[in-house]
Amino acid sequence: MLTPAELVWLIAAVAKGDEAAFERLYAATRAKLFGVVLRILRRQDLAEEVIQETYVRIWSSAGRFNPGQSSPITWMASLARNRAIDVVRKRGEASIEEEPAAMEASSDAPDPLARREMTEELKRLLECIGRLEPDRQKLVLLAYYNGWSREQLAAKFETPVNTIKTWLRRSMMDIRECLGI
Amino acid sequence: MMVDSDDHIALAAEYALGTLDANERAQVEAMMSGDKDFSAIVRSWEHRLGALNQMVGPVEPGPELWERIRTAVGHSEPQAPIELPQTSPPVAPATAAPSPAVADSSSAIGLTASLRKWRMIASATSAIAAALVALIALGLSMPDLLPDSVRPRPRPQLAEVKPPPAPKPSAQYVAVLQKEDGSPAFILTVDEATRTFTARKVGASSEPGTSFELWLISDKLPKPRSLGVIGANDFTSRPVLASYDAELVKSATYAVTVEQAGGSPDGNPHSAPIFSGKLVEAVPPAR
Repeated sequence: MLTPAELVWLIAAVAKGDEAAFERLYAATRAKLFGVVLRILRRQDLAEEVIQETYVRIWSSAGRFNPGQSSPITWMASLARNRAIDVVRKRGEASIEEEPAAMEASSDAPDPLARREMTEELKRLLECIGRLEPDRQKLVLLAYYNGWSREQLAAKFETPVNTIKTWLRRSMMDIRECLGI
Repeated sequence: MMVDSDDHIALAAEYALGTLDANERAQVEAMMSGDKDFSAIVRSWEHRLGALNQMVGPVEPGPELWERIRTAVGHSEPQAPIELPQTSPPVAPATAAPSPAVADSSSAIGLTASLRKWRMIASATSAIAAALVALIALGLSMPDLLPDSVRPRPRPQLAEVKPPPAPKPSAQYVAVLQKEDGSPAFILTVDEATRTFTARKVGASSEPGTSFELWLISDKLPKPRSLGVIGANDFTSRPVLASYDAELVKSATYAVTVEQAGGSPDGNPHSAPIFSGKLVEAVPPAR
């Protein structure tokens, strides 16, 4: 992965219509963005469509990227993720049965690189998520990583949707307080 | 209604988390387009939660996707092939080995499809698992932060494994050095902590027998100071800004001149600047 500063200059060049910079930006970020949307959409073809739309949008709106507001990769990943969630919400829900049983922490190994490369921002966020009840930690992570709706979460946690709604709201407000924002 | 009411903040947070239904999402997007403050709250949540994407493993999309994107944005003909850096290691999920059924597949297409499916599943599980394990790892160093029920049981081998300290990012500054209204020729990045500049050649190549030389120009200095020859390679990095005041480094103009091969012999520029630019803060320092 290129450094954030390198991505910023690539986006700046893309904003000026530099096609070679656009290709480099795509090469440097496609796998991360694809990983993010694939987990939400669960289908190669849909995920590729979303990635295509995302990069078309990056090409046309690179000039609107504000480095003071977000990091380049977070900005791009948000565009991709929002589009992916719009797609699953509009299609109706992806089948919950597709979720592999192996999501429990105990049955899976961490990516050893992930911890070493954690930014302070991520550590702080995880610290705050870690203060939630164990079920709510999973609730938040499943919602973010898998893009699950409240209905899917309700089925997973065998809890009424209204309760999930309350948990989600409280969890987000607890995280907000913990982060001090 | 106050835009910073708890309802608005919770709505923004749930939008960023992704749990709203289609109608609610459309409503939030409509609110964002009409309300800058609300939009900023949503963006701030997206930024905060976006850190979680660091745990997501990269997955390569199909190789034909780039052509589709290129066509969709209306690029008429393929760019000359560019040597692109390998941005990520090949997909090698750490969770399991491919099943024999995949390995035994006799059809190449079937194999690809199975591998893709398998990678999808590996990708689907690993980030959540990694995040949960990370929570446990944080719990090892700060057990008070975790509720009793999720505090790890004592496991000596595990307890010794602590995440190494993450490198603390310093502020990064970037300048695009270009002709007036021209395309960028060099991208200059400056690391505030090490006062190292890196000049990335993007669109310029010097005539034979000449070199590009980078200069620092400031009204606090009597004359331009040479930062050395750049552009011989795609990247030129030098920690030469350490002797200058931090404010001067941030506010200076950076300019490129054409000099004889090897650079100016007497420390003075011999052409008008052909490319120039000023630094902007691209990455704020870690708090």
